[in-house]
Amino acid sequence: MKRELLDVCVHCGFCLPTCPTYVLTGDEAESPRGRIYLMSLAERGEASIGGAFTEHIDSCLGCLACVPACPSGVQYNLLIEAARPRIEEEAPRDTLFRRLVFALFPYPRRLRAAAVFGVLYQRIGIRPTRLLARLPARARALESLLPPVRVRDLFARTPRATLPAGSARRRVALLTGCAQRVFFAKVNAATVRVLAAEGCEVVAPRGQGCCGALSLHSGRDEEARRFARRTIDAFGDGYDAIVVNVAGCGSTMKEYGELLSADPEYRERAAAFAAKVRDVTELLAELPPVAPRHPVEARVAYHDACHLANAQRITAEPRQVLAAIPGVVLVDVPEAQICCGSAGVYNLLQPEAAEELGKRKAANLASVAADVIATANAGCLLQIGRFTSDGTPIVHPVELVDASIRGTGSK
Amino acid sequence: MALTDLRDKLVADLGRDGVIDDPAHLRTYECDALTGYRVVPALVVLPRDAGEVATTVRACAEHGVPFVARGAGTGLSGGALPTADGVVISLQRLRRIVEVDPVNRRAVVQPGVTNLDISKAAAAYGLYYSPDPSSQQVCTIGGNVAENSGGAHCLKYGFTANHVLAVDVVLPDGTSARLGGDAPHQAGFDLLGAFVGSEGTLGVVTAVVVRLLHTPATVRTLVADFESTETAGAAVTAVIAAGIVPAAIEMMDNLAIEAVNEAVDAGFDPNTAAVLIIELDGPADEVEERFAEVTAVCTAATRVTIAQDAQQRARFWRGRKAAFAAVGRLSPNYFVQDGVVPRTRLSEALARIAAMAGEAGLRVANVFHAGDGNLHPLVLYSEAAGEHERAEALSSAIAELCVELGGSLSGEHGIGTDKACSMPRMFSADDLETMQRLRAAFDPAGLCNPGKIFPTPRLCGERPGPYRPHPLEATGVIERL
Amino acid sequence: MRPVTLAELRDAVRDTDGPLLARGAGTAAGWAGTPLPGATEIETTGLDRLLTYNPDDMTVAVEAGMPLARLQAELASRGQRIALDAARVPAGATVGGLVATADSGPLRHSHGGPRDLVIGVTVVLADGTVARSGGHVIKNVAGYDLGKLFCGSFGTLGVITEVVLRVHPLPPATRTVALPRDAAEALDAVGRLLAARLEPAALEWCDGTLLARYEGGPSSVERRAAATLIRPGDKVLDPPAEATAWRRVREVSDEETVVRCGSRPDQFPYVAKHAARIASSVAVGVHTVAVDDAAAVERLRAEFEHVTLCRRPAGSGLPAWGRPHAAVPLMRAVKQRFDPAGRLGAGRFSPWF
Repeated sequence: MKRELLDVCVHCGFCLPTCPTYVLTGDEAESPRGRIYLMSLAERGEASIGGAFTEHIDSCLGCLACVPACPSGVQYNLLIEAARPRIEEEAPRDTLFRRLVFALFPYPRRLRAAAVFGVLYQRIGIRPTRLLARLPARARALESLLPPVRVRDLFARTPRATLPAGSARRRVALLTGCAQRVFFAKVNAATVRVLAAEGCEVVAPRGQGCCGALSLHSGRDEEARRFARRTIDAFGDGYDAIVVNVAGCGSTMKEYGELLSADPEYRERAAAFAAKVRDVTELLAELPPVAPRHPVEARVAYHDACHLANAQRITAEPRQVLAAIPGVVLVDVPEAQICCGSAGVYNLLQPEAAEELGKRKAANLASVAADVIATANAGCLLQIGRFTSDGTPIVHPVELVDASIRGTGSK
Repeated sequence: MALTDLRDKLVADLGRDGVIDDPAHLRTYECDALTGYRVVPALVVLPRDAGEVATTVRACAEHGVPFVARGAGTGLSGGALPTADGVVISLQRLRRIVEVDPVNRRAVVQPGVTNLDISKAAAAYGLYYSPDPSSQQVCTIGGNVAENSGGAHCLKYGFTANHVLAVDVVLPDGTSARLGGDAPHQAGFDLLGAFVGSEGTLGVVTAVVVRLLHTPATVRTLVADFESTETAGAAVTAVIAAGIVPAAIEMMDNLAIEAVNEAVDAGFDPNTAAVLIIELDGPADEVEERFAEVTAVCTAATRVTIAQDAQQRARFWRGRKAAFAAVGRLSPNYFVQDGVVPRTRLSEALARIAAMAGEAGLRVANVFHAGDGNLHPLVLYSEAAGEHERAEALSSAIAELCVELGGSLSGEHGIGTDKACSMPRMFSADDLETMQRLRAAFDPAGLCNPGKIFPTPRLCGERPGPYRPHPLEATGVIERL
Repeated sequence: MRPVTLAELRDAVRDTDGPLLARGAGTAAGWAGTPLPGATEIETTGLDRLLTYNPDDMTVAVEAGMPLARLQAELASRGQRIALDAARVPAGATVGGLVATADSGPLRHSHGGPRDLVIGVTVVLADGTVARSGGHVIKNVAGYDLGKLFCGSFGTLGVITEVVLRVHPLPPATRTVALPRDAAEALDAVGRLLAARLEPAALEWCDGTLLARYEGGPSSVERRAAATLIRPGDKVLDPPAEATAWRRVREVSDEETVVRCGSRPDQFPYVAKHAARIASSVAVGVHTVAVDDAAAVERLRAEFEHVTLCRRPAGSGLPAWGRPHAAVPLMRAVKQRFDPAGRLGAGRFSPWF
């Protein structure tokens, strides 16, 4: 929490209406301005780490909607990333559940195992352990997040290499993700098909694991750096682009340069790696379409994932990619800039706020009566799916492109 | 003791979630957007509805504890500065748009609704809420009522006071009343008019009935570059003198342009000394006719850019409206002034401000509502470099210069804490005493946002600043008996 | 007493005992409650000077006894006006009197009333205190706005002695369109005209006709007037017909029993049904209503909260004010602070205080 960064805030309040927790509570300390104020007090030694400080820093979703809204150019992303480790170091809390989360989500194999229980639970209704009953709100969050998984999906693997339809325009490596790989294998499959149809040779490097996003966004910097190094090693060189279809992962991977800037061994490789990272919609917008599109007649509500819109400033590209599908009508959603409450593992750690935000987002989406909701982040897909009760399908934009190219016309 | 009792009562009535008393948490409420003044309140209360507001105020009155209402905390005069041992009543949980009535062209909203959200809700009917403070996406209608907020377009359309039909208020004793009515005709004193702009000292607003206007048929906007702020100021005078009432005339000087260009891609020429943004709106024929006259008057401009579409216009305005906060990119700290001068004295005022800034060795950026002579000089300084007091003195001197030129201390930000000590420069003791009678009628116990508007020994030193003859008095225009 | 300077007026207030009654040209002497007998009259017509007028600043300061019509003539020579056209202006109403009664005319549709045009006032309170508020610039939030507080005060809070007003350019051209409509149809037509964004300066319904006046450039008013013609019978008025139409609007105020009443715009037909004649700014919901008898006034008061009595027949027992609205206790409190002895305008707000 550097003084120079804190002093950029002039307390104008332009961030307030963009902040999900402020929208929910109306409490100054639950706003970016209030959190910066608390950080500033802590930096001066006028407030201790812990107590109100920890409470209000923890409640931040890290959606970064405040960053584009700030006329003074406050780098809130850097401030919150610096504040969280302070809590981890000086006022650690809440260990059991946080450990469970961080021991589970970043690891596909463990998560897959847990998901098998999830399938059993969904199918048969067995309540797996008493542990969950002892942590009611949070446990509910965890279990209801589990999407309807098919056992087949759990063990699906993205092919190691897929050749393009014609001559290769790009050679790209795909991050298959951790939670993504387990819960949304179909998104990865669609990504590979679309990229191949659009003339990309797609490689899914083996040995990749979590990119470190969940750890970084929760102040577990050392863990994040460990995941980053492993990811860089697993991918190696020789690609035109590193393609990511999860916004939260993409934003972290684009920050590898800064994350590993103090690591002489990795510094340069990290910067070069970060420079090649592209969201799948970014890459598709950059490549003039070659594969013919079939009509998909649908009103599509596109939900901006925070880590795409705010962290990566990608808002036009996914809309452009969707609008290029014949028959698709994009509709504006009220309160579009407000986070859905997913925000990495936020929905697991702050379930009440996440639930309120999820309901609010679902209601706003429902208000436009779309045929399909599209969003480019696994967390948002899970979260919105949990609160959408009208049966509107929720897909990744690339799935719609895939449907259009394959001519399945599915919604 | 009173505070402990009060806290227990409020927790009992509003719930634990509605009362803040944690010391670190309270500090996030110690200032509004004017951070130079900070006082930690004893309690912050977050009522959910008008009933809880009344409960809170009544409890404060019974315990003799002062209170201040707070909206989004975007005020620039320290109007929402807490009182030590007092209560902050945040209205940020009263954010419901109760009704949009397209037939009668009005909306009923709770005080925590943002200015811009009213227009958003009205847009479906081709209507909008006219006053548009630069902070409109954040600032709340309750705060707008307290400050009688203006904005760029009040040159043609008027201020908050001209667009509010009625307010529901909780009076300082905890009782409730409605001021105003269904139409702009009140049987008796215009208490609504007196209430709007009273800076939260007469009561707490719990609902506001605002007028909505149809969005204008045509809008034309131009940006004119000038070689100096003086020539730009002269162009403003010429436009007004030509009998044209534009929707807005805004000016920014080079330093303000520099800040804006860094913050947003607004497309202003970084090398120009001053720009005017001139906007006309209304029926197409009328606008075209008048727009031609405006461009003809801007002969001294080195370049005139006419917005080609709504997007380009929005870009200009995004730049203009981000200007204050964007100055944060040029300087770690700044004061915003809000004085008004008669329009014919704009150039003179700007020249004198530049000279005063030079003497003080501080930079001043100018971004303001030129059409109504409402200056917003931003005095840039560094607290770390120990410039605070010098900047504060320059800032006050600029406000008082405006009075000297026949204008006012404040056009839209309010007197608040910031300019209370300058009030004797503009008003005599009798003037201020008469205003206090109004206050005493609403708030005999003096609990409602005390310490604002009026100079107090505590704030201004033992004696409030001495009364100096008003310049209009010196020239015999007005008489002081 | 007829003081001719602020100092004389102040002295007159300070050095006399007992009840006082402020009076301008007397054009609204019958408005509101009947003054209790025995008060010393202080007439402001001796204070009728133009104090400052800088046309390029678009503001003017006058003494309160200046007749508005005379001020308008002065301003017209510089192509400007005060955008206030209350019916009693031609009869000599003073600026101070118009403020004290909060009177306005059809231009209220676009410019509001005195509250929206007054930017500064000087007042003399019952104890001789001379106080100013506002100033000489149109945008000004320093201190409380006593100018607005005194709008509709009927001389009961203090004597208004000086007024600073916002000035507007005189429109280069005007055109009035007459649309024959009954009340319900007029309401509908008003909605359409507003939605068409033609921006009339006045929209007034009187004697079964909706009048739409446009002000602006010559070609623009012509085209907007033409665009207003909706159905057969609607017509653009020639200048003599235009003058007659607006005179008829003013004449409603001269009827025997008249009230000024505010309503939600869509309630206009309910107001109109009580009226013998009515001049109504339909879009803003402010109506000048002539009625046949006192009972009609009571019926209006039963339905609408803000009703001000403007004229009644001599000797009428009709009370000046109806049931007290929600802000009346506050009015009493304000009166108590400004004039604790109740010297000024006793009877004007009877039976409220």
